Amino acid sequence: MSLHRRAATRRKVVLMAVAAALLLVWVFPLIWAVIVSFKSESDVLAYPPTVFFEPIGRNYEDALFGDFSILDSLATSAIVSVSTTVLTIVLAVPAAYAFARLKLPAKKSIGFYTLATQMVPPVGLVIPYFLILNKVSMLDTYTGMIIVYLTFSLPFAIWLMVSYMEDIPFEMEEAAFLDKATRWQTLWHIIIPQVRGGIAVTVIFVFLNAWNEFLFAVQLGGNTVRPVTVAMYNFVSVEQTLWAKLSAAALIAMLPVVIIGIAAQKQIVKGLTIGAVKGGGRR
Amino acid sequence: MSKGRVNLKGIYKRFGNFVALKHIDLDIKPVEFFALLGPSGSGKTTTLRMLAGLEPPDEGVFAVDGEDVTYAPPGKRDIAMVFQNYALYPHMTVRDNIAFPLKMDKVPAAEIEPAVVRAAERVHIEHLLHRRPGQLSGGQQQRCALARAIVRQPKLFLLDEPLSNLDAQLRLQTRVELKKLQRSLNVTSIYVTHDQEEAMTLADRMAVFLDGEILQVGTPDEVFNRPRTIAVASFIGSPPMNLLPAKLDGRRLVVDGHVTELPFAPDHPGGDVTMGIRPSHVRIDPDGLPTRLYLSENLGESVLLNLYLGEYLVKVRVASFASAGDDETVPISFEPDAIHLFDTTSGLRIRTAQD
Ligand SMILES: Nc1ncnc2c1ncn2[C@@H]1O[C@H](COP(=O)(O)OP(=O)(O)OP(=O)(O)O)[C@@H](O)[C@H]1O
Ligand SMILES: [Mg+2]
Repeated sequence: MSLHRRAATRRKVVLMAVAAALLLVWVFPLIWAVIVSFKSESDVLAYPPTVFFEPIGRNYEDALFGDFSILDSLATSAIVSVSTTVLTIVLAVPAAYAFARLKLPAKKSIGFYTLATQMVPPVGLVIPYFLILNKVSMLDTYTGMIIVYLTFSLPFAIWLMVSYMEDIPFEMEEAAFLDKATRWQTLWHIIIPQVRGGIAVTVIFVFLNAWNEFLFAVQLGGNTVRPVTVAMYNFVSVEQTLWAKLSAAALIAMLPVVIIGIAAQKQIVKGLTIGAVKGGGRR
Repeated sequence: MSKGRVNLKGIYKRFGNFVALKHIDLDIKPVEFFALLGPSGSGKTTTLRMLAGLEPPDEGVFAVDGEDVTYAPPGKRDIAMVFQNYALYPHMTVRDNIAFPLKMDKVPAAEIEPAVVRAAERVHIEHLLHRRPGQLSGGQQQRCALARAIVRQPKLFLLDEPLSNLDAQLRLQTRVELKKLQRSLNVTSIYVTHDQEEAMTLADRMAVFLDGEILQVGTPDEVFNRPRTIAVASFIGSPPMNLLPAKLDGRRLVVDGHVTELPFAPDHPGGDVTMGIRPSHVRIDPDGLPTRLYLSENLGESVLLNLYLGEYLVKVRVASFASAGDDETVPISFEPDAIHLFDTTSGLRIRTAQD
């Protein structure tokens, strides 16, 4: 009995140690960035690194209000991410419902397409997208960028949500039909409230993916649409890299991600496991 | 003003190659409590779903009060249904569950709450209105589903084995309440069950289903006392009646050499027939047919003997029985006026004394 307990304690200690080590590996760059963001540019490059220094807030001021202010690009990121998320949900919920419920003739092949979009390496799509957007004069426009993001987020969102909707028994809906609810009322009053968790997971993943996206933003964006992931590179130039300001900007850009991460921990873990099982959730 | 007359004519339903319903004809009268009785897989639920509009038939016509609603969508039929698994909305309180049909029917908000309370009171769950279905016992969930169905006045009330998820005691109690409720509602009700006792006690009339066909329609009394075919006879009663090959010659019925003089003249030219007799109408009779005792089951109020007459198993219900051990010889005879006769080839009943 006590032997048992001692083994359990040992297990716990080992687990904690491993977790701590892993966490350190992941968090170290972040801590480093935080430290750097409070140093002056000259201190950053000093060797050996200065351990004791006067922390300064100038870098944040510069990142937000300086010559290369990221304020506008933060707004751009917000517009693109929020629009993508809202549109994704508005379109994916009914689509997922249709997939889960209706006897669609092309259901299988559409399902496969959905999965395939999650498999194609994004790099392979950048050039075609560039050419297409160029052709329709949508390069560097919000519409163009959001449409491109939707091509990824929609299949993923539908895929994720179908699994939630399939869990709802048919009878529930049939009862609603007999209670004189229309299809849309059934979706609204019966289905959606029961997949709230799934919608939350989808919102979080779609938003984070859009907010963190870099590859497409840098190729298909420009002066009008320059999300913060791209704008940060203003601090990197041929002559010099302003590490401290870059760190400050990066940390500001990370803030929404961190806040969402903390607020929605549970949903994210759930989504990750479903994503892992279903092979979705990456980009 | 009578409403809720149901007519089914020539209904067929196929699932792929499988024919789930074969030529179903039914006339259900207004305000009747009508049971669909049959073994598992006989097509009772399919019939009910067809009535509800959830599963349109391949052929045939379904009319309510003379109006053809065969292909009308469920919401246009003014039909309420209690599902076997209740299908309560788990994210809503009991109050909202019961109120849902009214809201969808655009009943003014002020009228909803009193109607909900009234419906809840009828099934004694008015104290549970704030709970969610997940916080209710099986019996309470069943009542909630009932309340949701009766909160508006539908033309037709469909119940799919509503008692099957309850334990035996609660089932008996709820059965009584259900009957009372249906009487007070004055709504035509169609009740699916595979439990014949339930059908017998609840229904005004019933239809016996087997393999997608209706074998007989009648009052419980008719179905029990005058089964129309051998198939019905072998299904109704627990245990069902004994069916034995016999020879008919005028009024003389010969079973395995033993002659029973019938108190009536059967409407049949004579020859090979099938005799049916319920276990409680077989007597132990020293002058009767010798049978071999296989097993006696003590049911408390009576004893059920399993006897072998040659290769045929005969079940006999007696008040008490002192066994001298298995394989003992038990002589039996049949109560002449309780005998049912069937034409062996057609399976149809031959008119007898009770008819
Ligand atoms: N959607 C379907 N697809 C294929 N076959 C079906 C479908 N629904 C029902 N069936 C078949 O039709 C037959 C009748 O089914 P039904 O559900 O009506 O039986 P039931 O009398 O209600 O039985 P139970 O007492 O077990 O509920 C069964 O053999 C069943 O397998
Ligand atoms: Mg059934």
